[in-house]
Amino acid sequence: MEKYVYIALFAPLLSSLFVALFATRPKILFMGILASLLIGASMISSFILLFYVNAHGALHVKMMDWISAGNLEIPFGFVVDQVSVIMMVTVTFVSTIIHVYSIGYMDHDKSFNRFFSYLSAFVFSMLILVMSDNFVGLFIGWEGVGLCSWLLIGFWYHKPSAAWAANEAFIMNRIADLGMLMGLFLIYWQIGSFQYDIVFASIKFLDISIVTTIGIFLFIGAMGKSAQFPLHTWLADAMEGPTPVSALIHAATMVTAGVYLVIRCGDIYSLIPHIGFAIASLGAFVAVFAASMALVNNDLKRIIAYSTLSQLGYMFVAAGLGAYWIALFHLMTHAFFKSLLFLGAGNVMHAMHDELNIKKMGGLYGSMKATAILMSVASVALAGIYPFAGFFSKDMILEVAFNEGAYFLWFALFIGAGMTAFYSFRLVMLVFFGEKEHTKYGIHPHEAQPFVIYALMPLGLLAVIAGFFEHAFRGFVTKLLTNYDIQIAHGTEVLLIAATLGIAISGISFAIYMYSRGGFSKTLENRFCYKLLINQYFIPKLYELYIMKPFGAISNFLWQKIDVKIIDFSVDMVAKILYTSGEKSRKMQSGNLSDMLRWMVVGIVILLAVAIFYRPIV
Amino acid sequence: MITLTHYLVLSGILFSIGLAGVMRRTNLLMLFFSTEILLNAVNVGFVAVSKYYGDLTGQMFAFFIIAVAASEAAVGLGLLILWYKRNGSVDLTSLQMMKG
Amino acid sequence: MDHILSLIIFFPFVAGLFGFLVNKDSVRAYGISVSAIEFLLTLVLWVGFDSSNAGYQFVEYTALIPSFGMSYYLGVDGISLFLVILTSLMTMISLIALNIEKDAKNLIISVLFLEMTMVGVFLILDVILFYSFWELSLVPMLYIIGAWGSARRVYAAIKFFLYTFAGSVLMLVGILYMGFLYHEATGIWSFALPDWYLLQIPLQMQLWLFGAFFLAFAIKVPMFPFHTWLPYAHGQAPTIGSIILAAVLLKMGSYGFVRFSLPLFPDASVYFLMPIAIIAIIMVIYGAMVAYAQEDMKQVIAYSSISHMGIVVLGTFAMNAEGITGSIFLMLSHGIVSGALFMLVGVIYDRRHTKLMSEFGGIASVMPNFATIYGIMLMASVGLPLSVGFVGEFLSLVGFYKVNWVMTLMAGSGIILGAVYMLNLYKKSFFGPITHEENRTLKDLNGKELTALIPLVALVVILGVFPKPVLSTIDMSVKKMLSLMEQKAVENDTRDLIINVNSIGGKR
Repeated sequence: MEKYVYIALFAPLLSSLFVALFATRPKILFMGILASLLIGASMISSFILLFYVNAHGALHVKMMDWISAGNLEIPFGFVVDQVSVIMMVTVTFVSTIIHVYSIGYMDHDKSFNRFFSYLSAFVFSMLILVMSDNFVGLFIGWEGVGLCSWLLIGFWYHKPSAAWAANEAFIMNRIADLGMLMGLFLIYWQIGSFQYDIVFASIKFLDISIVTTIGIFLFIGAMGKSAQFPLHTWLADAMEGPTPVSALIHAATMVTAGVYLVIRCGDIYSLIPHIGFAIASLGAFVAVFAASMALVNNDLKRIIAYSTLSQLGYMFVAAGLGAYWIALFHLMTHAFFKSLLFLGAGNVMHAMHDELNIKKMGGLYGSMKATAILMSVASVALAGIYPFAGFFSKDMILEVAFNEGAYFLWFALFIGAGMTAFYSFRLVMLVFFGEKEHTKYGIHPHEAQPFVIYALMPLGLLAVIAGFFEHAFRGFVTKLLTNYDIQIAHGTEVLLIAATLGIAISGISFAIYMYSRGGFSKTLENRFCYKLLINQYFIPKLYELYIMKPFGAISNFLWQKIDVKIIDFSVDMVAKILYTSGEKSRKMQSGNLSDMLRWMVVGIVILLAVAIFYRPIV
Repeated sequence: MITLTHYLVLSGILFSIGLAGVMRRTNLLMLFFSTEILLNAVNVGFVAVSKYYGDLTGQMFAFFIIAVAASEAAVGLGLLILWYKRNGSVDLTSLQMMKG
Repeated sequence: MDHILSLIIFFPFVAGLFGFLVNKDSVRAYGISVSAIEFLLTLVLWVGFDSSNAGYQFVEYTALIPSFGMSYYLGVDGISLFLVILTSLMTMISLIALNIEKDAKNLIISVLFLEMTMVGVFLILDVILFYSFWELSLVPMLYIIGAWGSARRVYAAIKFFLYTFAGSVLMLVGILYMGFLYHEATGIWSFALPDWYLLQIPLQMQLWLFGAFFLAFAIKVPMFPFHTWLPYAHGQAPTIGSIILAAVLLKMGSYGFVRFSLPLFPDASVYFLMPIAIIAIIMVIYGAMVAYAQEDMKQVIAYSSISHMGIVVLGTFAMNAEGITGSIFLMLSHGIVSGALFMLVGVIYDRRHTKLMSEFGGIASVMPNFATIYGIMLMASVGLPLSVGFVGEFLSLVGFYKVNWVMTLMAGSGIILGAVYMLNLYKKSFFGPITHEENRTLKDLNGKELTALIPLVALVVILGVFPKPVLSTIDMSVKKMLSLMEQKAVENDTRDLIINVNSIGGKR
């Protein structure tokens, strides 16, 4: 079985390295196909491992030693257990589809080969992240996906906005990574190992305050990667990257790494429920906060990005409250319908010649039926309507919140569900129905190539049916994760489901009703609420004004004033004093014998004085 | 009664005169005279102390100094004449080639 | 193999002397072959090195002035082995990349002399001789900067020389006093470092001696606020000078801390731990922020060296095997990475005769190979896992965490700020549209430059993925040093601290 582990892991690396050899060449179609095949091989191995793990339990391989110094031993080791295999399957499955899709999407791009090299490198890093059997291995993947995210957001580097967004994403992630590193250091010095099994076995013997600190530090890491408040601004800007990247990295896989971390460290977080509750509260806050920004945004991709943010909040609520398997389940279903949504958006962008403003679209249903249907399916799934995938996972998260007695969280998520339904259908309505605004700009939309649509079919199918695997999924992952039972009376449960469904359906109907009649009136746009939301609560502005600008100013100050004017100046001052004193005393050497004699006399007098008055201290 | 102190004071005064001359004079000839005064001031001191201690070493030393001063004067004056022949002056200000 | 260390030290010197006889046209080939042979010799040394023996190997001892205990004493252990290999490697690579035509012969001979002095500093165990080589290394560097540098080269060269020279004078006093103390204690004169290691010194004297040595090392590293010679030296030096300066000369300072300060004065090292750690943190943050403010690419990298050396110093003073091993590894990785970065800046300087970032923009599309290698080195510089930069940085910070976690957090901000200035540099010069027409026709890396850079790229990846052979060799000697420190410490606090920071879990 080990060979499948290695195939799953290294096929993407091979793909990336091989394609990288041709990175600067003009488009070679074969590179795209090869990359897709290799990722496909990785996917097949992952599925084989899924069945293996189901039948025989976890698989642990140690490839080689990596770092050893002092008492520290870090190997390259991989564990394929119930959690990581689910992540592997999800990642490779979505990646394969996105690779195939990209062959069509990046068709006309002159850096076609480079794109596939980066994309495969991302898959490799993500697999390292989920498969490693120790925290440092996870950190390798963690930084690796950050690197690939940087490369891919900045893929069209000639656009300054893309270059900026790439750097922003990398740096924000680095801030969080520092927190995570601190957590790792603490784990090491308390336990002496980074191996998951050793750490989780001995964590319960530690002082609770230490465990709390570890939990906080690790969660700071998770906050960066999963773009939780206040480190969330990079995700929306990351939409500068090509759309397949947004689908893969910034919706389906990388951003869920934070959730994965919390799930993986369930043994740590279950010891510190207060921190778990804080995580859940932050998640609920982000769920509503992000959804509210999605309500008014007009940028096709940003709306979906905010929606991703909001759904990550849902996952953190579940993970924070200890319902790890539910969080993982939502992570998986979300990966399916959110990548579908993004890829559909990619088709729309292509049709609209990279126009992103949904106010300039409309009526695309006529020319792009397949995409319209797929995106609507994804939106319904996102809104959480029975029997689509989103319903099962999201509804359970609400029940968890209710079950834990966190009624406030439940209410926030409940409101969030309504908002989700509304903005999803606002998008669908504005893009696919209503007036054909785009004709004013002389754009003639066309449907994507057929193979692209076929590639999306499996995702569409899963967005519909994935929810029905709930029981099988639960049985599978709870072999490793702590089980979580929702103990709500049947009547209440039905009521809750009805209420959630109700708010989702009313959100959808409201959107359809409003936008089939031409949307809201323009006057609303002058209101403060609208301004607040469209400017993302002014947070990016605040960051620019109070962090970036002062940082630049302080740096300049340190250089221009402290370094040059004070430190270097004083060094030069020492030299200057010596130099000028030499210059001044040079006059003594006038060459005139009389002067020399006079100086001689001065010297004699001084020596005499010393001889007379100086008494050595005894 | 003339005591040792008187001799030493005389020696000191002579020395000061010589020193002042060394510092003030710019004529090389005068400088020579001043150095001779300095040497003789020391000689007076030596001889006086020698007499006071009853030790002849000091007086012998004085003879040595006189001998050295004489030979020094001979060589120095020779050089001085040479210099005068070449430059037409024995002023110190004409002797400033090692200016820093 | 008996005299391999002498051979390694003096081969470049002798070859340099013969270099005067070599024809002008073939002197480049001569220089490269000499440095390649030297590199092979150091590799032979590594092959012959017994990595299960923590002590000094290939020891050569000849008494020079027995009555004063001065000797010709060479030896290599895990700590110095890789620094020697780094020296010969970077000298070879920088000679391969050399493209100065004017007086190339003299330049190459200077570089070969410099190589002798650098290797000598790492291999010599007699302190007087060490001091001679330490000072001697300034002379070729003075020539390299002063004769082949840019506009303000003489100012920079003299500043470099005088500043570092002034710093080491106190070290000489310290060395003589140490020799005196040894004589007092044993009745024999000896300037052999292994003899000195056995000497227990009272705390008060340790403090003074530590201070005397510290200034020399601190200026060389360079530690804040003694760093201002570095930006000038880098800014004005020719590419080859910058490479060797960043890759090797700075390491002499941090090597001094490991070789002298810690094992000779364990109590003083612990006593001064906090002040030094604070300076190191200032170096990390201050260096990174000043680097961010720079407009000149080369200055960015120069200041980034200060930032990285801050982490090296921090790791050294972590007083545990993780930290010290990590800091030595970080010296190696910084040598490779900063050397490569300076070389890359040299490449673009040759083409455009400017290093200002504002003159560039969008060159990623004109020079894709250049941009790729630059990107790899940049990622190694910010410490991305699986690149060489991560291992050392991670270990140094792990090590210091046990000493003080808040300070580690502050020093760790270096990984954020490092990303900030490096990515900012990359964005300004490589991303965005092409703003200057001259940049449209820039040529990508040529064969010579690729020959020099590709081995470094390979090393960055190989050592990042498989650092174990290097790490375990270093680690062994470091552990030996730590046990020595623990044994000879005169204060109980010192002993407790060393034991505490080297153990997992334990008291809090």
